[in-house]
Amino acid sequence: MTEPSLLQNFSGGRAIVVTDRVSSLDVLISTLIRLGVVTDPADIVTTAAAIDLAALQPERDIIFIDGDVGDGTALPLSAIGRLPPAPIVGMVGVSAPSRLKALMRAGATSFLRKPIHGAAVYPALFVGVNEYRRHRHLESLLEDQERRRRGRRDVVKAIIATMAQYCIDDDEAYDLLRRRSMKARQTLEDLCKDLVRSTDGQEHGDSVLRRKLAD
Amino acid sequence: MLNGALQAVEEVNASGLGIAIEPVVVNPGGDLARYPVLAESLLKRGIRHVVGCYTSSSRKEVIPLFEKHDALLWYPSHYEGFESSTSVIYTGAAPNQHVLPLAEYLLQHHGDRAFCVGSNYIWAWENNRILRESVTANGGAVLAERYFAVGEEDFRQVIVAILEARPSFVFLTLIGTSAYKFFRDFRAACHDCGIDQAGEIPVASCSLSEPELEAIGDDAVDGHLSSSVYFCSIRSPENIRFLQAHRARYPERPTASADAEASYNAVWLLARAAAAAQSGDPRAVKAELVHQHLDAPQGKVRIDEHTFHAYLTPRIGRSNRHAGFDLVSEARTPVQPDPYLVRSSQRFEANAAPSLRLVS
Repeated sequence: MTEPSLLQNFSGGRAIVVTDRVSSLDVLISTLIRLGVVTDPADIVTTAAAIDLAALQPERDIIFIDGDVGDGTALPLSAIGRLPPAPIVGMVGVSAPSRLKALMRAGATSFLRKPIHGAAVYPALFVGVNEYRRHRHLESLLEDQERRRRGRRDVVKAIIATMAQYCIDDDEAYDLLRRRSMKARQTLEDLCKDLVRSTDGQEHGDSVLRRKLAD
Repeated sequence: MLNGALQAVEEVNASGLGIAIEPVVVNPGGDLARYPVLAESLLKRGIRHVVGCYTSSSRKEVIPLFEKHDALLWYPSHYEGFESSTSVIYTGAAPNQHVLPLAEYLLQHHGDRAFCVGSNYIWAWENNRILRESVTANGGAVLAERYFAVGEEDFRQVIVAILEARPSFVFLTLIGTSAYKFFRDFRAACHDCGIDQAGEIPVASCSLSEPELEAIGDDAVDGHLSSSVYFCSIRSPENIRFLQAHRARYPERPTASADAEASYNAVWLLARAAAAAQSGDPRAVKAELVHQHLDAPQGKVRIDEHTFHAYLTPRIGRSNRHAGFDLVSEARTPVQPDPYLVRSSQRFEANAAPSLRLVS
């Protein structure tokens, strides 16, 4: 799986800001405009619960969360990587460990110190968005590994069945299954699962095996 | 730069605009450590407008001081972009006004195989990055990217490499004496091999100006491409007037350059905005500045209200035997500055090579 390329131009982006201090956002919003990122007044909310999750687009949206707004709500996180539905930049006023921890738990991948300095916004976006993309990539790799791990038992069973069926050793059996899965454009784990599961189903295992392995 | 600024000060004071500028000149002599010291001494004297700084590193040194003192730095140099401090007015070209037009011109007229040679610092790195993105987006290739210490004068190896690679053009971001030496040595090496350097492997740069052509010397002065918002050869009444006054003021000095023009424009914009605000207060000046339209030597110049960079007119010039530039391309109207290249670059970094591996 190819590592994602770096996002460097944020034009066309949308910023969503969670804060109860709208008056302190001038520098952030004017700097975002220069970077081609728009902030609609409706997208400045006082609680994360007000964000419309269904409308979020992780490729376009960037969420800024004020760490000093302790409303106790958080966005849902993904199961494996604990990732929020869009990149989060934490805005830090009080930099006590508990506040920083809350922002990290919420899934922030970069921080902006308050009061916000214009020159800090581009680096914060660059790191925050690209770290998020990298985490998401790693998460998908992990999901893939997890799927493979779950399928391992079926792979072992399928290898043993193939060895018995064709009187071949385990390397040859594995090779046969692998080539067959490539031909069927199916992952090895899925192919093996079909083979193994069908033995307890309506179709007899041997015939499925023969059909699947027939060249 | 200083000459251009002082010329404008003199003109402003004689213009009857209703304001007088009293120039205070300090010279850090290119020593980075001296920039903040001298800037602070000016700011502590109550001076709120400073025109100057050439390199990006010197500008970065002093910006915190201008922010702290609520003063304005009028930065009259073309630079690599990706900055927009609220305490700086940028009157030189942003990358979409120099590198991108040059890349377009080169791709259109000379081919898509680039060889990059530069001084080892941010200006060269960033310009090469922007050029690479333009070239690769058009299906071309950067054959090599070579960097040298500032001041380096031995280019034998890289010249051999260029002659072997035979690129469509050389993109040069060497600065100062290194650049002059490269122009001379490369021309001589091509001559020895029977290659018409200017015709077959032209050298293109974003920082080559008329005074520098004089420094290259007669043998290698012609046929180089330069991207700039200002050339002395622009035929406009404003430029003719500017050049006449410049020559009258500095008969012994080098000819005017893009940097002289940018500082000249900076002082005039400052004067106009201060006159409109009837105050030298930086906030009031900034508020008025975006309404000023200047008939500058290069054409119409005004400041963008979002980025505080200038609308400028990109041009490509080819150097001639008389140490001047013949214009070969010119934007029809002033181009909006885009310091972060949000309107003129790809969303993603141009990836060098896909991560593929041989599986069988």
